[in-house]
Amino acid sequence: MKETILSIQSPFAPPIELAQYTWKGPKPKNSVSIVSGIQGNQLNGIYLCSRLVRFLNSVESGKEPGYYLKGSIKIIPAVNSPAIFEGKALWSFHDLDMNLAFPGNEQGEVIERIADSVCRHTKDSQFGVIIKSADLNYNDAPHLFCLNPDGLAKDFARSLGAQNVREPKDSSTFKLSLHGHWIDEMITSVVLSAGKENHLDITLCEDILPGLINSLLWAGALGNDHKELIKYRVKFNKQNKETLISSHAGGFFLPKVTLGSEVKKGQKIGDIFDIHSNATLESVLANSSGYLVTLRNHPIIYQKEVIAVLLEKSKFRFWS
Amino acid sequence: MTTRKEGLLQIQKISCYKIPSGQRVEILKQFFPSSRKRPVKSVAFVSGLHGNELEGIYICYLLTKYLKELQKSQPEAFLGEIHIYPAVNPQATDNATRLWPFLSIDFNRQFGISEGNSPAINCAKELINNLKDSADIVVDFHASNLHLKETPQIRITEGFHKKLIPLAVHCNVNLIWVHPLSAMFKSTLGYNMNQSKVPTLVIETGIALRINQDFSNRILLGMLNLLYQVGVLATKKPPPTVSNPIIVHPSQVIPIHSKYAGLFIGHTDIKKNILKGEMIGEVVDAKNGKTLQEITATEDGFLFTMREHPLVYPGALLGRIAKNIIA
Repeated sequence: MKETILSIQSPFAPPIELAQYTWKGPKPKNSVSIVSGIQGNQLNGIYLCSRLVRFLNSVESGKEPGYYLKGSIKIIPAVNSPAIFEGKALWSFHDLDMNLAFPGNEQGEVIERIADSVCRHTKDSQFGVIIKSADLNYNDAPHLFCLNPDGLAKDFARSLGAQNVREPKDSSTFKLSLHGHWIDEMITSVVLSAGKENHLDITLCEDILPGLINSLLWAGALGNDHKELIKYRVKFNKQNKETLISSHAGGFFLPKVTLGSEVKKGQKIGDIFDIHSNATLESVLANSSGYLVTLRNHPIIYQKEVIAVLLEKSKFRFWS
Repeated sequence: MTTRKEGLLQIQKISCYKIPSGQRVEILKQFFPSSRKRPVKSVAFVSGLHGNELEGIYICYLLTKYLKELQKSQPEAFLGEIHIYPAVNPQATDNATRLWPFLSIDFNRQFGISEGNSPAINCAKELINNLKDSADIVVDFHASNLHLKETPQIRITEGFHKKLIPLAVHCNVNLIWVHPLSAMFKSTLGYNMNQSKVPTLVIETGIALRINQDFSNRILLGMLNLLYQVGVLATKKPPPTVSNPIIVHPSQVIPIHSKYAGLFIGHTDIKKNILKGEMIGEVVDAKNGKTLQEITATEDGFLFTMREHPLVYPGALLGRIAKNIIA
């Protein structure tokens, strides 16, 4: 069922609306909320939510053989609609990062009202997934963020299909994010990050979709008596096991590695060229081995900016 | 640290990064040394954390101009040191944007963050380290946002108020607002300096992208008075006379919000002694010539915040009244 959970009058254009899709089975306590579009130009999450909406509508109408609704599922696909329809990460009217606006304010400004509405409508969920793209100027191989995961959160992460889980930075600003708020509300939640801003990667989304459906099965929100649950192999990475590779020079950065690949110590990550003369200013080498989870996407780079993030290889044969 | 001298004034580079063309962006401070071997105290003034807030930059200009003259005529007046950081986010100021260009991040949310690597985080670290090394007292100038005009005021987080109010009363502001701590302040320069036991006053005055000369001149007098009161300056003339501020707590601050989307037309400016029921403005629907909401004062008091941006959505802040305080 689609419903408009918030409608805010605009001075001249149509109202700003927040749409929520819900499906309910006989066990509504098994509940999952999936949210995307907190930044207006992170399109993979919005598309993935739309694919899930189509799939779940098909399940509801009996067109997905074997699947049935068991618990409660909520999807809010396009949170920051003013920014989405402006085509920007942040809505320029306020220039405020929406992910610093949670838990919001029912009587506040537009962004605060939207944040409040998202929080109120997801507060009873057992599990939550926030889908995003990499931060501005970067590209992410699909991975999860999860703060201090307990056994339940680890199992939830294993159901989603991403190979890696990272720890978010638990800073004062993290508390103002939706993920931070959900953790405060004891909602077992993860952030799924994949791809880059202003770009829709259909292949990437289609690769991620089965994991999202599997997580709904695992959480008991969706049922399929003929399909076995998949417990994916996942590596839980500590922050101190991440290596940041930074530029010494500024200029054009042209990568020589593939996102989502294993990189060896000393391997060339890319070159930095002078933006006027094309002279090579720096060859950027990996200072350790690891999985390339994040890579610079925007070709112009400043001095001392992060170019790549590597997740160090586990010493153990089996992942946790 | 590179230092350049202009007479007795020293200009120091406290942080620097290269833009991709290879040119250097430098964050500079002006340093007025003490005439004494052992300076009494050291006071720092910071502005331009948000690039579109120009009021503080102008106040720093006025302050530098005054102090340069004083340095020429009465060098012995400088018993302590004065550090002025007039534009700490130079690229954002040149672009007239609140956020750090290219990265689109708020520079005043980068303090106290240990992880990450970007020009903004590096500059934040260098700025705060320089301030901690240089100053006993810091004043951080802000100029509201694009939407609201603020009377000259100092905002103080509860917990720091005992140390800060005795300093704030010298600053010639109209109002001191003591507010509770919120998570959003924890990564600001002001919060982190105060946490480090360096008293830091955050001044809000005027509105982004504009300079209100009256407000700036008032704050200039306040800053000079502060320098006198803490013993950094001692001239033959007495310190400037300043007005006493009102001290307000959250329960005394009444926000006024729009109920509708439309255009807000203000009928008054920031105003002391506004009376309950007095007209502040109206929200109109330009599509059909209707007045949607007449905005009147909900309390007697001091209308210390006034909306300037005409475009409003429901919930938009139109003003704030400090109630029951007749100044």
